[in-house]
Amino acid sequence: MTTLETDVLVIGSGAGGAVTAATLARAGRDVTVVEEGPWVDPAAMEPFSLEEMVAKYRHRGLSAAFGTPTIAFAEGRCVGGSTEINSGLYHRLPPELADEWRRVYQIEEFTPETLDRYAARIEEQISVSQLPGAPPPSSAVLERGATKLGWRAVEFSRVFRYDGGRGEKQTMTRTFLPRAVDAGAEVIPDCRVVRLLRRGNRVVGARCSRQRPGGPVERLTIRADHVFVCGGPIQTPALLQRSGIRARIGTGLKLHPMIKIAARFPQPVDHGGVPMHRITEFSPNIAIGGSASRRGQVAMALAESSADYHDALADWENVAVYYAGIRSEGDGRVLAVPGLRAPIVTYRLTDADLSRLARGLVHLGEVLLAAGATELYPSVVGGPVVRRHDDLVMWWDAATRSRTNLMTVHMTSTVRMGEDRARTGADSFGRVWRFPNLRVNDASLVPDAPGVNPQAAIMALAARNCDQFLSEA
Amino acid sequence: MKHAPVSPQEATNIGVPTPAVSVVTGAAGWLGQNLVRALATDHDRVRCLARAPDEASLLEVVGPTVEVVVGDVRDPAAADRLFDGVRGASVFHAAAVIHPQRHTRELFDVNVGGTGLVLDRARRADAVRFIHVSSNSPFGANPTPADRFTEDSPYAPYMGYGQSKLEAEQLVQQSHDRGDVATVIVRAPWFYGPYQPPRQTRFFATVRRGRFPLVGAGTQRRSMVFTGNLVQGLLRAEVAEAAPGRAYWIADAEAHELREVLQAVREALEAEGLAVSPRQPRLPASVGALAAALDGFLQGRGRYVQALHVLGELKDTIACDISRARAELGYEPSTGLLEGMRASVRWCLERGEAL
Repeated sequence: MTTLETDVLVIGSGAGGAVTAATLARAGRDVTVVEEGPWVDPAAMEPFSLEEMVAKYRHRGLSAAFGTPTIAFAEGRCVGGSTEINSGLYHRLPPELADEWRRVYQIEEFTPETLDRYAARIEEQISVSQLPGAPPPSSAVLERGATKLGWRAVEFSRVFRYDGGRGEKQTMTRTFLPRAVDAGAEVIPDCRVVRLLRRGNRVVGARCSRQRPGGPVERLTIRADHVFVCGGPIQTPALLQRSGIRARIGTGLKLHPMIKIAARFPQPVDHGGVPMHRITEFSPNIAIGGSASRRGQVAMALAESSADYHDALADWENVAVYYAGIRSEGDGRVLAVPGLRAPIVTYRLTDADLSRLARGLVHLGEVLLAAGATELYPSVVGGPVVRRHDDLVMWWDAATRSRTNLMTVHMTSTVRMGEDRARTGADSFGRVWRFPNLRVNDASLVPDAPGVNPQAAIMALAARNCDQFLSEA
Repeated sequence: MKHAPVSPQEATNIGVPTPAVSVVTGAAGWLGQNLVRALATDHDRVRCLARAPDEASLLEVVGPTVEVVVGDVRDPAAADRLFDGVRGASVFHAAAVIHPQRHTRELFDVNVGGTGLVLDRARRADAVRFIHVSSNSPFGANPTPADRFTEDSPYAPYMGYGQSKLEAEQLVQQSHDRGDVATVIVRAPWFYGPYQPPRQTRFFATVRRGRFPLVGAGTQRRSMVFTGNLVQGLLRAEVAEAAPGRAYWIADAEAHELREVLQAVREALEAEGLAVSPRQPRLPASVGALAAALDGFLQGRGRYVQALHVLGELKDTIACDISRARAELGYEPSTGLLEGMRASVRWCLERGEAL
C-alpha cells in the first residue's frame, strides 16, 4: 500500500474540483486531485457519441433516480467531470435566486454582486462566447418557432473558443486543470476514494483504490491537512455517508426533470452539437431547448414514445431531439448502502411538477410545429404521435405519472450551504458542520435547482469558497 | 353604452372605455353565466369558451351578441379559435377547476396550464385587459377571527387548489410586469347566486333538512360574495383606470359568522315558502381539523375527496377587506346576504331543482 502526503486533497475534478485545485495551487498550496475516472483527451472523441458515453459517463450514461416515474440522469466520470460531456451552456445564477437563497438558508456573503464578481473572474479564465455566424438548423428551429409565436428566446452563451473552424468547448481538461498542474498540483486519475479517514472531528485523509492502466487495483492512502470533496451532487454525499458523516447529507436532492420530443422535419438537421437557443417565455418554471441528437439519441428518443417509429428512424437525419425542463417542487435523496458501490438515488415528483412537465410538452409541441416539424414523438409511453396542432391537447392526459419518460442532467442541493443548521449540511462556505477541515465545493452546495445550467454557478461558488479558505487557513 | 375598439396604447391613455368585444373563459360556469349576461348588454360581441356542446346552448340563448367556442382551456387549438378574429378585447378568465373529479393533478393542468395558455393568446390578440378570477385559497385562513385579508397579506396557499391558484396569479402578474398584457386579479371568496352548480343546491337541501353541520362554535367568519356583486366588481375591473397590475378582493360588504350564513340560508328558504328543519347538528372543531389532515394526506398522494376538503375548511375564518376595491374600482356591493340567498333559492325553484 502506498501513502502520499499533501496539504490539500481535492476529491473530484469537475467544475467544482478543477476550480478549487487551480485556485489553491496558484495561491501556493500543495494540492493533490484524485479523480475516479480516466484522463481522456477531449479532442479524441466526437461529443455525445456512443464512444464518449462509454469512456466518460458513469454507468455509460445509464444512471437513474428511482421513483414514479424514474428519472434517468447522466454524470461525467472522467477527469474534468461533467464539463467534459455537457453542452457547454453557460449562465450566471439569476440574481433573484441568490437573494432568495441568502434569505432562506441564511448564506453569508451571497449577494448577487459577490457572485457576479466571482463569475466575472471565472469568465476571464474560460472563454464564454456566442456562436459566430448563423446558428445550426437544429437551433434555428427554436428561434424560428419562437418568432412565429411571439415567444421570448435567447441564444445562450457557451464556454467555447472559436479560433476558426468549429469551435472548441472549454472543458476543465482544457482550462483549470492544466493551470492547476502548471502551478504544481498533482492530478491522479483512475483513483476512487473509498472513504475519508477521520480522527474525531478532523479528517486526516482518504483511503483510495487506484486502477493502474491495464494492471492491478492498488490501495492508496493520502494524508491531507485539508480535504475538499467535489464529487458532484450524487458522489459527494455518498462519500460523506460512507465515511460516517450523515447529518443532513444526501437529503433534499433537487434536479431539473426534462421531458422530450423527437421532432421530424421535412429537411435534414445537424447532429453534431446541442442547440444554443433556448425559449425563455415560460421561465423561471419551464425552459425549452434542444438536446444532443446523434443517431443513438434520436433512436432512444423515438423509442421512448413506444409508437411505431421505424419509418422516422430510417429518416433519422431529419429528426432532432428537444426538451422541456422544469423547476421541480419535489425532492429526492442519495443514500449510500453498505456493500453497494453506487448509492441509491430516489426522487419524488409532485402533481404540480407533472402538470408543469405536461404543460412544457404541449408548449414545446406548439413551437416545433410552428417551426415546420411534421411529426412529434413525445417521451411518453403510448404517445400519441402528433402531426397537427389540434392533437397537442391529447398530451395533457397522456403524460401520466406511470407513462412519462424523464431525464435530467442538472442535479444539486444534497449538501446545502448556509447558517441555518436545520436546513444545511455545510456552512456558508462549504465547511461540513462539525468537521472544521472538511469542505464540500461542488453542485451539492447549491441549495435549490437554479433553473439554468448550473456550471457557471458552481464555478463561481467554488472560487468564492477558495478565497474564504485562503483567507483563514 | 358602446364604444369602438381601442388599441392597448389608447386604453392606457384614456383609461376607461368599455371594449366592444369581450372574451370569457369558463363562460358556462357559475360565475360565467352571470357574467356573460351582464357583458351581453353593453358589448358588441361576447366570445365565450365552454367545455361541452350542451354548455354552448346554455349560453347561446343569452342573445345574438354571444358567440360560443367549444373546447378545452388546456387546448392550444381551442385557444386559437377563442381569439380568432378578436382583437383589442377585454378578457375575463374564469375557467378553473375547484373540485377535481378524483385527482389533484387536474387542478394544476387547468388552473395553471389553462391560465398560461389564455394569457399567451390574449397577448397575441392585443387584449386591452386581462381580468383574472382568483380565490381566497392562495391565502389560506386568517390567523384570528378578527383578522381580514388585504391585498398585501402574505401568500399561504391552502392545499392543491390554493397552490394552483397561487401559481396562476404569479403567471398573470408576470405577464403584466413584463408588458405582455395589462392584467387585473380579482379575488373572490365563497360564491352564492343564480346559475349555481349542483353542489350548492345540495348545500341548500342539506341545510333545509337540518343536516349541515356547524363545525366548532360557528363564530368563525366567512366573507361571501353574491354573484351579482362579483360581476359588478369584474365590470369595474374592466374599465377602472387604477386597476392594471393590481389585485383586488371582491366580496360582500361584511364577513359573517358561519352560523349567520347558515341562518340566512334557512331564512331564505322559509321566505320562499319552503319548510325548514330547525335542527342544527354540531361537530367539534377537532373533527374539522381531522378532516383537513386527512384531506392533506390524500392530496399529497394525488387524491381528492370533496367532502373531506369542504369539511376541513369549515373550521376556519376566511375573511377579506374590500377597501381597496371600493377606493380604486368604485366597487360597492349592492346585494346583502339574505337578499342574495333568496335570489338563489328562487332561481332553484324556477328551474325546478329539488331542494
